[in-house]
Amino acid sequence: MKLHKFKFTGNAKEYFGIWIVNLFLSIITLGIYTAWAKVRRVRYFYGHTFIDGHNLEYHAKPKSILIGRIIVLGILIIMNFLVSITPLAGVLVIPYLLALPWVINQAMRFNARVTSYRNVRFNFKGTYWQALKIFFLIPLGAILGFGLVIAVLESLFGESLKSLSGLQAVISIIIYLIVLLVSAALFVSYMSKLTSNYIGNNLSFGSADFRTDAKLKPLVANYAFSLLFFVVIVAVFALAGFIAGSMFEITKLLESTQLGNTIPIGNEAYVSAIFGAFIAIYIGMFLGFLFYNAGVRNIAYRATLLDGQHQLQSSISQLQYVWIMVSNLFVTVFTIGLMRPWAAIRTWRYLADNTALLAKNDLGNIVDESTPEGAAASAEFLDIEGFDFGL
Amino acid sequence: MLGNTIQGRFYQAGSTAVQDAKLHKNGDIWQLVLGTESKLLTVEIESVSDRLAGIAHKIILKDIGVFESSDNDGIDAMLETENSFFSRLTRVESSLPLVFVFAVLSVVILVSLYRFGIPALANGAAKVTPSSVLTLMDASSMQVVDRVFFSKSELPEKRRDEIRVLFDELIEQSGPQKLPFRLLFRDGGELGANAIALPGGTVIITDQLIKLSKSDDEISGVLGHEIGHGELRHSLRQIYRVLGIGFMISVIGGDSGQLVEDVVAQAVALGNLSYTRNFEIESDHRSAELMVGMGRDPFAFIELLKRMKKEKDDKNDKKETNWYSTHPSTFDRMANVKKFVDSLSPR
Repeated sequence: MKLHKFKFTGNAKEYFGIWIVNLFLSIITLGIYTAWAKVRRVRYFYGHTFIDGHNLEYHAKPKSILIGRIIVLGILIIMNFLVSITPLAGVLVIPYLLALPWVINQAMRFNARVTSYRNVRFNFKGTYWQALKIFFLIPLGAILGFGLVIAVLESLFGESLKSLSGLQAVISIIIYLIVLLVSAALFVSYMSKLTSNYIGNNLSFGSADFRTDAKLKPLVANYAFSLLFFVVIVAVFALAGFIAGSMFEITKLLESTQLGNTIPIGNEAYVSAIFGAFIAIYIGMFLGFLFYNAGVRNIAYRATLLDGQHQLQSSISQLQYVWIMVSNLFVTVFTIGLMRPWAAIRTWRYLADNTALLAKNDLGNIVDESTPEGAAASAEFLDIEGFDFGL
Repeated sequence: MLGNTIQGRFYQAGSTAVQDAKLHKNGDIWQLVLGTESKLLTVEIESVSDRLAGIAHKIILKDIGVFESSDNDGIDAMLETENSFFSRLTRVESSLPLVFVFAVLSVVILVSLYRFGIPALANGAAKVTPSSVLTLMDASSMQVVDRVFFSKSELPEKRRDEIRVLFDELIEQSGPQKLPFRLLFRDGGELGANAIALPGGTVIITDQLIKLSKSDDEISGVLGHEIGHGELRHSLRQIYRVLGIGFMISVIGGDSGQLVEDVVAQAVALGNLSYTRNFEIESDHRSAELMVGMGRDPFAFIELLKRMKKEKDDKNDKKETNWYSTHPSTFDRMANVKKFVDSLSPR
């Protein structure tokens, strides 16, 4: 057994130059250069990522990315145009949803096939039906099931909640909330399990397959921790709101005594606390999502074997990951984007430093199984629509 | 001989197997030496990866595999690719003064695109959009707003005819039209007293607004304002501008991360509010121009707006804000229109 840690050798200064030249050329070519810029950017990150002394390589052709972008842009323009001249065009959402699993597969295939390590390419073999099931049918079924759970709860407790009082009402509310939270936890964790396994089990490296067997139990635990994290954030913001509101109320109180007036003192502190909590729910969901995803990455990677013997590892600290993302955001915004290269390098380095492969023997005996790369359009679609598998 | 040899690694085609190797250039012939062997293997170069800072060059050797070396300068020298596009680009990317210049240029270009370029493009696009498309858009928007906000007007037919005369008078005054202007009456429902202009020349006025008015000049002024929106293609310019900014963000945001994108979107939405206020001022001026031309009172509609505002404030119990509202405050408008009307009259 030998532990190969991923090593990232890129640095922010070098990347800044690449980034700013990419940006400049993209602007003056009205976006056409973005395809070349993407290849240069991804090649920089891949090429500086080393496992056992060999780097990753990104082989996508800028022209296929450009064609993909033009196709996607064309479709989006036509769709939006149709929707703006007739509301009936809304039915287009059905073929859109049905095409989505295919698009996801094509994108993953493209991205896998243009990536190589030690001159051997990756590949992705997911089928339409599997993807349809996981990204469409099961979520649909689960949402219906979820609706059913809520309906059952409503009919069981809805009436009694109004008529009951005291302890009984409290117990009913607690049961209601517990059932709701537990079913949400199970649903979300189960979806994460399915998606992780789907991606892992269809990914291959040359002739060697990846196998992912993410277990439900750690995923549910991860959900619970993420929920706790979310609750703490909301509580902190509510407290901050409460304090701010109290200060406001105190100054008002002081003013009123100084003026000798009797301005009625409201409950600004509570209003401000509730306001703070509402903002926090929005922010907390965002951060909770990051926290949750980092946990899923850890679980999915640890449950993945390459060629039945080499074990992937991921040891991200979820709190630190959220901190990196949030501080990156602030640094980027306050430097009108100029520190974005630094932020990107920092994130990538953190992820690489916390990823490793525990290899059973030498990695030099995996055979290539080259296949054509497929279309870039769907990979670009996911790029534009904002999917990010964070490989 | 030394200048014609590069140290590196050879990846055999078809597997992850790798060994140390050297690549020789001997005249026009390329030769590969594997490991410590002395055998020279004649090879043909199929392609070479583009140069990129700090990343080892990969030379694809036809049929047999890939030769990799981090001696990038050596490879460029031997292949005579020092002046290829990507080798030059790599030098530019690593030159501090040039990078600084590009950073400044990028910021300047982006700011001027946002301030001037995109609005100018949007105006141009709005001008050349055929009115038949706009008519279709209007019809589609009417279906939506009729379902969501409005119900049938309760106004007596006689009063409607009177207002139609006012509307026709304005159209007449405004000269030859590119848009097929038409006036619709609706019950405002939740929206209450209001008037709306759609991009294709459809103007909607609510019963509540007509009830709130005290003179024909007031109604005429508001209609003139809405016709101004149509003539100046304000909604269309706004649509194109938002599209343009969206495109700009997608060009610059290739690697921005999700959180950053969300924040930028919020900032753009805020910026829009102050931008659309200029449209209101332009329409106010157009209205005043038309009213003066017809010998009507150009300030009357501002009185109506004040009443509208007051009614809304009473209903919502909200104070007037300058920053968040899309319409300039009525006080600003009065002063603005006064100034404009003064500039119209011959000195």
